[in-house]
Amino acid sequence: MSASPSPSSPPFVRLCTPAAVSTFLRSLVIQGSWNYRTMLGSGFAFALLPVLRRIHASEPEALKQAVERHLEHFNAHPYLSSVALGAVARMEAERADPETVRRLKTAIRGPLGSLGDALIWATVLPGTALAALSLLWLGVPIWGAVAVFLLLFNAVHLGIRVWGFRAGVRAGREVGRILNRADLSGWTRRLEPVTVLLLGLLVGTIIGGPGGLVVSGTPWLLLSALGFVAGLLGGHRTWRPAAVLTVVAIGVFSLWGGIS
Amino acid sequence: MDIARLTVLGGLLGLDGTAVGQFMVSRPLVAGALAGVVAGDLAQGALIGMILELYLLVSVPSGGARFPEASTATVVAVACAAPFQGAGAVPLAVAAGLVWGQVGGATVDMQRRWNGERVPRPGASDDLVRRVPRAHLLAIAADFLRGSAVTGVGIITGRPVLGALVPHWPLGGAASLGLLLVGGAVSAGILLNDLGGFRRRKVWFTLGLGLGLAGSQLL
Repeated sequence: MSASPSPSSPPFVRLCTPAAVSTFLRSLVIQGSWNYRTMLGSGFAFALLPVLRRIHASEPEALKQAVERHLEHFNAHPYLSSVALGAVARMEAERADPETVRRLKTAIRGPLGSLGDALIWATVLPGTALAALSLLWLGVPIWGAVAVFLLLFNAVHLGIRVWGFRAGVRAGREVGRILNRADLSGWTRRLEPVTVLLLGLLVGTIIGGPGGLVVSGTPWLLLSALGFVAGLLGGHRTWRPAAVLTVVAIGVFSLWGGIS
Repeated sequence: MDIARLTVLGGLLGLDGTAVGQFMVSRPLVAGALAGVVAGDLAQGALIGMILELYLLVSVPSGGARFPEASTATVVAVACAAPFQGAGAVPLAVAAGLVWGQVGGATVDMQRRWNGERVPRPGASDDLVRRVPRAHLLAIAADFLRGSAVTGVGIITGRPVLGALVPHWPLGGAASLGLLLVGGAVSAGILLNDLGGFRRRKVWFTLGLGLGLAGSQLL
C-alpha cells in the first residue's frame, strides 16, 4: 500500500507542510459534528481549514468560498476520509478548479465508505476483538488481552490513516489510481479467513475453556448451538430478538427467584 | 464519588465511539476493564465487558446506522454490578447494559439531529471561517455531556434495581454464564454469516474451532 511520489509535490510541500500536519491531526475528530444533513461535510471543512487558511492567507473572500464548498455533504469511512482530505488539500494548493475538486469528492466518497466498512468494521475490528476475547477466555491477564486488542487494531487504524493522507497528498486528483493499486478489497478478502479462524477459535474456547459451556451444562450448550445456528441463518435480523429474549429471560429468572 | 468518576469515564469513552479518534477504547472489552478499575472490581468489570463485547461484536459505528452505544452501556453495566457480588450481578448487569445501549443509541441519534441544526449552512453567514470550528468543537463538547448524562442517569436508576434483584437471583455462577452465552452465540452466528457463511468458510471455521477446543484442553 505505497503511494508513489509525484513530480509535482514540491509546491504543496512548500505551501502547506505544517498546515497539512494540522489537517491530519484534525482528521482524527472529523466525525465530531457528524449529522444527517451533511454527514462528514462540516468535519471535512473543519479538518481542511488549516490548509485553506495557508493557501488563502491574504484572500478572505476566497477562503470563505473554499470553506463553503467543503461544508457540503460528504461521507466516507472515517479512517479513509484521510485519503480524500490529502487529495483535496493538494488540489486546493494547486488552485484546481472547484468543480473538479467537487467531482473528485463525489467520485471517491462511495468507494472510501464501502472499502473502509468492509476492511475495518467487518474484518479488522471483529478479528482483533475475537483474538483478545479468546486470550481472555484462555486465562491471559486482562490487561494483556486489552493491550493485544488495542495495539493490533490501532496499528492498522493509524497505519491506514497515515498511509491514506500521504497517498492523497502525493497523488492529488490521481488518488483513484492509488486506491486501485492499494487493493483494499483484496486485503479484506485475504483477512476474512483469518477472522473466521479466530471466530472458530473463540467458539472452541467458549465451549471447552475454563468456565465454558461444557461446565455450564448440556442444556446451555444445546441452547447456544441453537442460537448460533439462528444467527448464522438469520443474520442481523436475529440480533435484536436475541438481545430482547436475553433481557426477558434474565427478568423472568429474577422474578422467579423473588417469588420462590 | 465513584458515580461521578464513572460518569466522566462514560462521557470520555462515548467520545471515542464516534466523535474523537475511534481508537476503540469505547469497545466493551476495554470499557469494561476501565470501568472495573474505577468501580473497584477489575475482574467483574472485565467479565461484563467480555460478555457485552461478544453481544456487540456485530454492532459497529458504521456511517449513519443507528446502533446500541457500547461504551456508556458497558460503564453503566459495570457500575451497577460493582456493589454486588452474588451470581446474579453479572447477568443482571449485562441485561442493564443491553437495555441502556439502546437508550444511548437513541441519544446519539438525537445528538446527530441537533448537530444538523447547529453546523453552519453554506452561504448562511459572513463569519463562516470562525463558525465552522466553533460549531464543530461545540458538537464534540455536547457529545461529551451527552455521554456523561446517559452514564450518570443509567447508574443512578440501574443500581437500585440491581440491588433489589441480585439477592434473589436463582441460578448459580455456571448456569448464569451459560444463559448469557446463548445470546452471545447468536452474535457469533451473525458474524460468521457476515464473513461468508458456514458453507463458504467451513474449513477455516472448523480449523479454528478445533484449535480452540484443543487449546482449552491443553491450558
